[in-house]
Amino acid sequence: MLIGLGMLVLILISAPVHAATPLETVRTEVNKVLDALRNKGLKESAKKETLRLVYKEMFDQVELARLSLGNNWNKLTEAQRQEFVELFQQVLEKAYADKILAYTDEKILYDREVPISKNRVGVQTRVVTKSKEIPIIYRVVQESDGTWKVYDVVVENVSLVMNYRSQFNDILAKNKPDELIDILRKKVKDQKS
Amino acid sequence: MKFVTPVLVLCASALVGCAHGPQSASVPMLPGETASPATVAVASYALEQHPASLQLAKDEAASPPTQAPPAEKAAGEESDADYGMEVPAAEQVTISDPLEPFNRAMFTFNDRLYFWVLKPVAQGYSAVMPEPARVSVSNFFTNLRSPIRFVNCLLQANFIGAATELFRFMINSSIGLAGLFDPAGGEEINLVRQDEDFGQTLGVYGAGQGFYLVWPFLGPSSPRDTVGMVGDFFAYPLSYLDPWYAWLAVRGYEMINDTSLSIGDYEALKEAAIDPYLAVRNAYAQFRQKKVEERGSTVRRPGPSIPGAGTPARGVGF
Repeated sequence: MLIGLGMLVLILISAPVHAATPLETVRTEVNKVLDALRNKGLKESAKKETLRLVYKEMFDQVELARLSLGNNWNKLTEAQRQEFVELFQQVLEKAYADKILAYTDEKILYDREVPISKNRVGVQTRVVTKSKEIPIIYRVVQESDGTWKVYDVVVENVSLVMNYRSQFNDILAKNKPDELIDILRKKVKDQKS
Repeated sequence: MKFVTPVLVLCASALVGCAHGPQSASVPMLPGETASPATVAVASYALEQHPASLQLAKDEAASPPTQAPPAEKAAGEESDADYGMEVPAAEQVTISDPLEPFNRAMFTFNDRLYFWVLKPVAQGYSAVMPEPARVSVSNFFTNLRSPIRFVNCLLQANFIGAATELFRFMINSSIGLAGLFDPAGGEEINLVRQDEDFGQTLGVYGAGQGFYLVWPFLGPSSPRDTVGMVGDFFAYPLSYLDPWYAWLAVRGYEMINDTSLSIGDYEALKEAAIDPYLAVRNAYAQFRQKKVEERGSTVRRPGPSIPGAGTPARGVGF
């Protein structure tokens, strides 16, 4: 109880000091990725490593995984959750690394912040390519230390989290949590090869 | 991060093959929105509407319990409870799929079509046709689809949208050299294309998607959007090309050109999906639902944000 109060106080005090706005946070992280991508001196492997680091820093992995499972999160044991978060993160990382590495000349515009709730904000951006313009919304949540982390990405109005939730719902309707984790393990393995 | 960009968006286009929608290259083929309003609910909106419970869940999970849960196991149990209440089922956009076996077969067909035919052809085509030229070809077809967008703006009583399309067509057909370029959409003129099609119009007047339907060649659809496709067909000048195979040839070329501009998108989607069929189905449902909901709201481009504007009060720990 005391510790709880202490943390509460800490949170209250520290938050305003450290916090960059959600939009600034997203811009900073995305720029790190772009800088790495455009750095011609950097090797492919070094670029991937940068991507991985930024990804870890930019996203709230647990929140992303939890929302992707929705109510099904309750069906997982603590150990299963941890493994799920880890595997899910690997799937996403692998799936997008190559795709991102292929991008170089897009312009990114940061439009505005739209409040979702007290500690959640949507940052609206647009990626302008030669042939089209793609709206992307980063949904960020304020962590207890005051920083903002991405927990969902909405591309062309399609929410990543909701898309995965529909898949997990369907899979968990027919399979046990253990089997879902097996499916993810297999997915990660297949991606590596 | 941009990485997700391609993903969903694209899924549509690639897979889906031909377009019915007025939208051209990238997003084109995902027409349609989801099932009846009853079964459908929008994720984002739900998030917005249940912020309180969401936050509670999040914050309580983060900080120690404040209530008085039974000792030790408290933390675990409590967070369970929170996670449970936080995600009302109504949040999700869903589309019923009574024909799943048939749809999965068609999905596989379109998948093979993409990897065995469309993609290799589009790659060969890219090798001889430089990208700027392919973008211009895409612009050209997009410009010819103006009547679809114009008519559907009118049908949706979106008069500003209709005027926007009219001016876009006039500008791009003249200054834009018969639509090869898109000066109307540039920074100076800034007339944003209004991606309205007949399927959306039906949705605006309350028609639900019905159920999910995957057409060979055409990709994800629904009864409503199939009707929409037929409507759009008649508003598309190229549909009236005389021998029917001329139309087919042009349509095929358009498809290859569009594919050439989005190679890799469908692949990324598949790579990221646990079950690609389900991923595409849900992306289609979300995409079309939102298209109907945002009717007319794309008339103006979002302006640059003023630093801090719209930011909720920060510094309040939770």
